[in-house]
Amino acid sequence: MANWRVGVDSGGTFTDVCVLNEQDGSLVVWKTSSSPENPAKAILSGVADGMGLAREQDPAAALAYFGHGTTVATNALIQKRGARTGMLVTEGFGDVLELARQRRPHLYDLEAEKPVPLATRDLRLEVRERTRHDGRVEAELDEAQVREAARQFRENGVDAVAVCFLYSYRNPEHERRAAEILREECPGIFVTASHEIAPEFREYERFSTATVNAYLGPVMETYIHALEPRLGDVGLGSAPHITQSNGGTLSFDTAGREPVRTLLSGPATGVSGALAVMEASGIGDFITFDMGGTSSDISLIEKGEPSLARETSVHGYPLKVPMLDIHTIGAGGGSIAHVDAGGLLKVGPQSAGAVPGPACYGRGGTEPTVCDANVVLQTLNPVSMLGGRLEVDRAAASQAVAGLAGQLGLGLHETAQGIISVVTANMARAIRFVSVRKGYDPREYTLVAFGGAGPLHAARLMLELEMPRTVVPRYPGLLCAMGLLVADLKRNDSITNHLVLGAGAVGAVHETFQRLRERAEAWFEGEGIAPTQRVLRYLVDARYKGQNYELGIPVEASAGGEVDMERIAADFHAAHKRVYGYSVAEQPVELVTFRSEAVASVPKARIPAFDKADWPVEDAKLGMRDVWFPELSGFAPVPVFDRARLGHGHRIAGPAVIEQMDSTTVVLPAMQATVDANLNLILEVIR
Amino acid sequence: MSVIGARAQVSASDKPLRKIDPVSIEVLANALDSIVEDAGEVLIRSSHSPTVKERRDSSTALFDSEGRALCQAAHIPLHFGSLFGIVELITAHYPPSTIREGDIFIGNDAYEGGGTHLNDIVLVEPIFVDGGIVAWTTNVAHHADFFDRGHAHIFQEGLRIPPVKLYKSGVLEEGVQKLILLNTQVPEERISDIRAQVSANRFAIDRFRHLCAKYGTDFMRDASAALLDSAERRMRAGIAEIPDGVYEFEDDFDHPEVSEIFRFGVTATVRGDELDLAFRAPPQVRASLNLVNSALAAASYYAVKAIADPYGPANSGLFRPISITAPSGSMLNAAAPAAVYGRACAAQRVVDLVHGALAQAVPHKVTAAHNGSVTGNTYSGIHPQTGHLYIYGETMGGGGGAGHSRDGLDGVHVHITNSANMPIETLEMEYPMVVERYELTTDSGGPGRHRGGMGIHRRIRVENHDCRVDVRGSRLHAGPWGLEGGLPGAPFSYRFEPPLKDPYKKYTLLHGGQRVSIFTPGGGGHGDPKRRDRALVLRDYREKRISRQAACEIYGMSPEELA
Repeated sequence: MANWRVGVDSGGTFTDVCVLNEQDGSLVVWKTSSSPENPAKAILSGVADGMGLAREQDPAAALAYFGHGTTVATNALIQKRGARTGMLVTEGFGDVLELARQRRPHLYDLEAEKPVPLATRDLRLEVRERTRHDGRVEAELDEAQVREAARQFRENGVDAVAVCFLYSYRNPEHERRAAEILREECPGIFVTASHEIAPEFREYERFSTATVNAYLGPVMETYIHALEPRLGDVGLGSAPHITQSNGGTLSFDTAGREPVRTLLSGPATGVSGALAVMEASGIGDFITFDMGGTSSDISLIEKGEPSLARETSVHGYPLKVPMLDIHTIGAGGGSIAHVDAGGLLKVGPQSAGAVPGPACYGRGGTEPTVCDANVVLQTLNPVSMLGGRLEVDRAAASQAVAGLAGQLGLGLHETAQGIISVVTANMARAIRFVSVRKGYDPREYTLVAFGGAGPLHAARLMLELEMPRTVVPRYPGLLCAMGLLVADLKRNDSITNHLVLGAGAVGAVHETFQRLRERAEAWFEGEGIAPTQRVLRYLVDARYKGQNYELGIPVEASAGGEVDMERIAADFHAAHKRVYGYSVAEQPVELVTFRSEAVASVPKARIPAFDKADWPVEDAKLGMRDVWFPELSGFAPVPVFDRARLGHGHRIAGPAVIEQMDSTTVVLPAMQATVDANLNLILEVIR
Repeated sequence: MSVIGARAQVSASDKPLRKIDPVSIEVLANALDSIVEDAGEVLIRSSHSPTVKERRDSSTALFDSEGRALCQAAHIPLHFGSLFGIVELITAHYPPSTIREGDIFIGNDAYEGGGTHLNDIVLVEPIFVDGGIVAWTTNVAHHADFFDRGHAHIFQEGLRIPPVKLYKSGVLEEGVQKLILLNTQVPEERISDIRAQVSANRFAIDRFRHLCAKYGTDFMRDASAALLDSAERRMRAGIAEIPDGVYEFEDDFDHPEVSEIFRFGVTATVRGDELDLAFRAPPQVRASLNLVNSALAAASYYAVKAIADPYGPANSGLFRPISITAPSGSMLNAAAPAAVYGRACAAQRVVDLVHGALAQAVPHKVTAAHNGSVTGNTYSGIHPQTGHLYIYGETMGGGGGAGHSRDGLDGVHVHITNSANMPIETLEMEYPMVVERYELTTDSGGPGRHRGGMGIHRRIRVENHDCRVDVRGSRLHAGPWGLEGGLPGAPFSYRFEPPLKDPYKKYTLLHGGQRVSIFTPGGGGHGDPKRRDRALVLRDYREKRISRQAACEIYGMSPEELA
């Protein structure tokens, strides 16, 4: 009897399903339409179909693992369909959430709007209490006022409350007590205290995180409570998991309490999928490039380890929860090209979306998109896409691009190529943002291209940045669903404790790491993780005393919390030199936030390896197509291959186009594509 | 009358410019923007003073070999004034043959050093490729220093630094550094921030050289020139949309530092795709409120860009269709040795003037007056914990002006500044004071069909020591104006507890336990408040953005409607 794992990634348009046989590592993936009115429907039918498929091969197949990616929280935030949310705040500071950092949304645009506060001003109630920066209580919590606030929240029909007091990261007692009273007085109301979700300094960012969490809490709870019992009905015998923004997964319970942790789970899961693929390939340093219809997600992986973002904001709301350091830009296949008043060609951030879509979809779109440019150049199939399911309207694409060509005074194909160049420049800038800006040289990293449009643009991007090679995974359009099956159960904790590194701080440092370890152990116990599966890592955010931005320094701590202080100092100086170009040995180093990452490793989906193909590469050739390359000064006949028929060891010299159901890969002249044992395509310049 | 900014510039390069296609220019523009943005992050993240590290009061820019601004990281519009004449000033003092690779210039003087007040210290480094200067990288950071000085003339306001070499061929000039640091009150903070500024320039140089290696310096020169032309075309297209005409506007200017109320004015003349701004102002004063010509130009360019091309690139090309004049020796075009420390409020008024004039031409594009103040409060004393002198300064936002179709933004930095606030949890950790309240002020937004943004109230208590405080701002006597029947926002005010005899006295001494409450101005309203959507009035009332009295008397709600 084999155990099977099912991953379901439910997006707005498609639900991707991925089924893995734990025994032999074989993997099946497919897409199905989503059911936005009732997301559970598509998810459950995905699981049922997956199990059906498994039972065809093995009647005794059991569903051992269910990994789920969902955009429920993300969509509720974008569409502003969260709960009616109140805030309980330190007296005098009810407007912190709205004042934000006082910076306006755009430097020059007098019409730009700020993001709306998720708790309106009449529902932000103040309470007498004050803790000081060193944790000392200056004014006791007025509990009668908290009870009065609870009454007002009830009367106003509030569904969720964020408790946000100054310095709760240092001394959480008042927040803890106020939350306790609220839970007692308002049963059924979702309560988040800021120290529970983001125990870090800077009040606005912490309050914002707590408020977003409260705003999403009731939505996520409802969703989970509807889905969980029905998973049992389709044969799930173990605890289900939801992906979170740090690349790991959460139990359904935790996701219900801390939904803010799932906001960027989609892109993070793509990175998890890429990590699995690259681990099998043995390449540790790479940059992921996930290009979809409206945006591209980019992240840098060093030595197989993704890094967490120092600070993030989602749709204008800053969040202090662990998220993979993923940089998103508004450039995708559907991005619209236009000529600005200065006569320059711009691409995006406006997108044609799914409706009407690019002009070439023939659904009424008339504006030229990146996708249309590719159709004009015939790098994309000018007849049909998505394995024949989408008919391409090449005439509409040409007409859309021709309009732009007229404005620019360039030829049709030069304009289409111009669109590709500009979108490549936008993406190169985003890659520099995650690499050069942080002291990493992209020329030492492999590009991993996925998402529907990633493989189409990867070759040019790799040339622009002088990167040595590109890896296109076997299923570039379905990497997120695969990521669901390889993500570990993960929890990040943090404690802010300002300490100057030195002999005097040894005791406090040890004690802080010890506290983190206790929290992690408690979580491992609660999740029922066997001791052999537990991995615990530490990090400390450090800076020169006087700075306010920290660099994350990995730390090894013994079971008793002991660490090598000199090693931390040396690693910090080196990191500062790398990122900022200098270090100051005599300057005291301050430790600010101590972090732990507790990981419960799940048995990984193996990326299967294949024997060398015993058929010639010509068998995979679909035919010839005229494709426009500036390197060839125009159209030239180029071989087109079927990705599904390529095998281990096959080599294709550019120029060439490789098509598959979920994506198209372009191999430029003077480049080659080889197929490795895991059936990844490797693009390299021929030297 | 002196002319500020040049309408056309001639390239002094020997090779003829090649025409570069629009795609390549856009590709290069992306690369240059990312250099200045990333260098700006290096500066902020490695700096030590709360003014830069938390409040982001700094900017970075790249200039071509002839000193034309190629791009600026969008932080603080007024900083453009500190940057855009700097390269010419340096080359005027140092013939190119005397400039070596690794030379780093420092300057701050408003008349000779490229600054607009002495606190803005500029660091400039030439970028060499193949032995020649191909471009310049610069940055400016506000240094919270030179506190408790006089303001009769600039000699009282701090150390004047003309552009001098802080590094010669990569080697620190220790004597120059010592001279500067000895003249500052918080030298540890100054040296750490200057180090961060040097490193931001170094970062930009590496990146720029990489571009040159890739594209060639000729291409870089030609594409840069084309980039400026493109910004010019965009700006001209934007100005062309403004109906031709001569538009006049006048406005008051006041400040706690002086008892007079000054009258400023502008004549804005739109002819086709060009705009001429002729300012009028009283003679310069023995106070810190004078504006030097580069600051006037920076404020004017900001004001026009916000109306004509808010999303265009910020480079020298956009200056070309705009000409600016103001009487020499006046408050808006000061001559040495006029004091300039508090020039920011006057710069805000310049924007109000330009927008007031253009509101007559393009009413749908202009908002009512923004809060019109750069409300500053600076504190200095001996920190009881460390025994060291500290200087803590912060400027506060206020209301944004209401627009033709929407309310003004509540509690934001407006126009020529855009620094961030100091988090309470940083402020109290670093300085011996307690923030007691930090909130939006009820009834401060100018009433209108679209309401002006609300001003901010902050109350600070001094703790366990004596300190001197300096509060500054404008719109004291009358709030920022409304448009189309909209009413003014609440004026700027502040008070001490217990009350002081002369609240406007400079550098007031406060003892532990004493408080200061500051109320920043609201934005002007737009349209008749009686025509405001009743549901919005009700919401504002429910959310205590307006009082019951304002809801009834100004917005015309009946008590029943409010019940």
